[in-house]
Amino acid sequence: MDSRRLRALRRLALLAGALVLSTGVALAHGGSLRGAAPERLAVPTWLFLLTGGGAVGASFLLASVVTERGFVGAVHEWHATLPAPRRALAWGGGLLGLTTLALVVVAGLAGPTEPLRNAAILVVWVGWWAGFTMSAYLVGDAWPALDPWRRLAAVLPTGSGELPARVGSWPSVAALLLLVWIEVVSPVGRDPQLLALGVVGYTLVTLVGVAVVGDDWFDRVDPLARVFRTYGRVAPVQRTDDGLRLCVPGAALTSPVLDGWDEVAFVVALLWGTTFDGFVTTPTWADAAAPLVTAGVPPHLLYALVLLAGFGLFLGVFRLAVRVSRRTAPTYLAERELAERFALSLVPIAAGYHLAHYLGYFLALSPALASTLAAPLAPPTPTVLAVPGWVGALPIAFVLGGHLLAIWVAHSIAYAALPGRLQAVRSQYSLTLVMVFYTMTSLWVVTRPDLTPPYL
Amino acid sequence: MRTTVPPDETAAVCPECGRPLPDDRLRTLHRGIEHFETLAEPEREAFLAAYRDETDEIRLFRLKALGTLILLYFGFLFAYSIFG
Repeated sequence: MDSRRLRALRRLALLAGALVLSTGVALAHGGSLRGAAPERLAVPTWLFLLTGGGAVGASFLLASVVTERGFVGAVHEWHATLPAPRRALAWGGGLLGLTTLALVVVAGLAGPTEPLRNAAILVVWVGWWAGFTMSAYLVGDAWPALDPWRRLAAVLPTGSGELPARVGSWPSVAALLLLVWIEVVSPVGRDPQLLALGVVGYTLVTLVGVAVVGDDWFDRVDPLARVFRTYGRVAPVQRTDDGLRLCVPGAALTSPVLDGWDEVAFVVALLWGTTFDGFVTTPTWADAAAPLVTAGVPPHLLYALVLLAGFGLFLGVFRLAVRVSRRTAPTYLAERELAERFALSLVPIAAGYHLAHYLGYFLALSPALASTLAAPLAPPTPTVLAVPGWVGALPIAFVLGGHLLAIWVAHSIAYAALPGRLQAVRSQYSLTLVMVFYTMTSLWVVTRPDLTPPYL
Repeated sequence: MRTTVPPDETAAVCPECGRPLPDDRLRTLHRGIEHFETLAEPEREAFLAAYRDETDEIRLFRLKALGTLILLYFGFLFAYSIFG
């Protein structure tokens, strides 16, 4: 028993080490870059990051004081049923999804090449990836109604083949990382024709995929449906068999719905993807990549390697935390079982980070989106909304807000899974430390100056 | 629920659902929470007693949590007055 406890302690120390390492990096770069940062900080970066980490730690302590089982359960069980004209929504959604897909392809190929006047660029990045994704975690996941590829696949032949069971949902994890990589290293963000061709390619791959493996495609390969389903679990509106259901935000994350390490890895990939997207725009990345690129490493490969390494690190840290959590609780629930349950508490963190990253962008470019949509092939000069200064402070609030919700969700998950109340609190020590590590990482990223990712 | 018991440990197994738990106290709590309806009177009382004992422990934990919060608060107060 003692050696086991020692092992557990050593793992905790490792986690703490990872934490110190992350502040160390911030320290090394805090001084020289602060003047250049758009969001100027009045305090040293390390103190700012520690404060963020401290806020998460303090909220863990506050949440752990709520030990009334009945109360914790009641918060998450509260719900109301909403009337929903399902048929009309499905029809309208399908029509909107298909029209948008056609518009993106046509406007991308035939519209103006200037990104801020091109409907394809604005619809995909501002309307869909920023705006629609926000609606998925702030309101509810409407993707099943909109998904144009599912509509197209429904009228085309569906294959009877099957994906081998042992590959699980790993293809969707790989596909998500691949999409993140393409989005970062290629000019799909500013080249409308390339974007349109990419969308056509995605459509073809999807239709061929469905023709070969059938509905398994949408369940286990297509990353988009899973991204929105995962984000949608944070939202107050949930789809059920008898219509829509209104609940407390985050409540749907407390029921165990993940199955297997592949689905756990997908949630971690989603979290890491949003972090990576921000990380490559930091001067730190530019400094770190410079000697490697000079030494002859192809930049595209370097981006891919760092994407994979970071994903491995995030997954490894989470797995380590789960292992420690089993010991400190203690519980005989399998490592996989605990990981499946607790991974869902990471989703609000990813959502908070997405909101921090995209709200300003969405607000600033939404007038351009609207005016371009009114005349997709001959759009007027784009107007960019002057976002008031205080919006610049919101990202920090969103990052913290996501973590606070995550702490509360993890607390509730622990209460549902474990019989002892203190046992539930103890199971959270290592996971809280991991959340502190994620908070400080993302706060550090959002307070860095935004550069264009170099060497691409 | 998937469970794994280390080979060198003996689990306290729940007679109702077969879930292994690390000790008797946790098994008593588990049975009371998950299977209260099927328990006999003495078992219910054992559960309520275990729940009350835990409440005492929680009181101590809350004091420690409060202490840590205060330390954290003043730690940051000092840090800000020096470096802010």
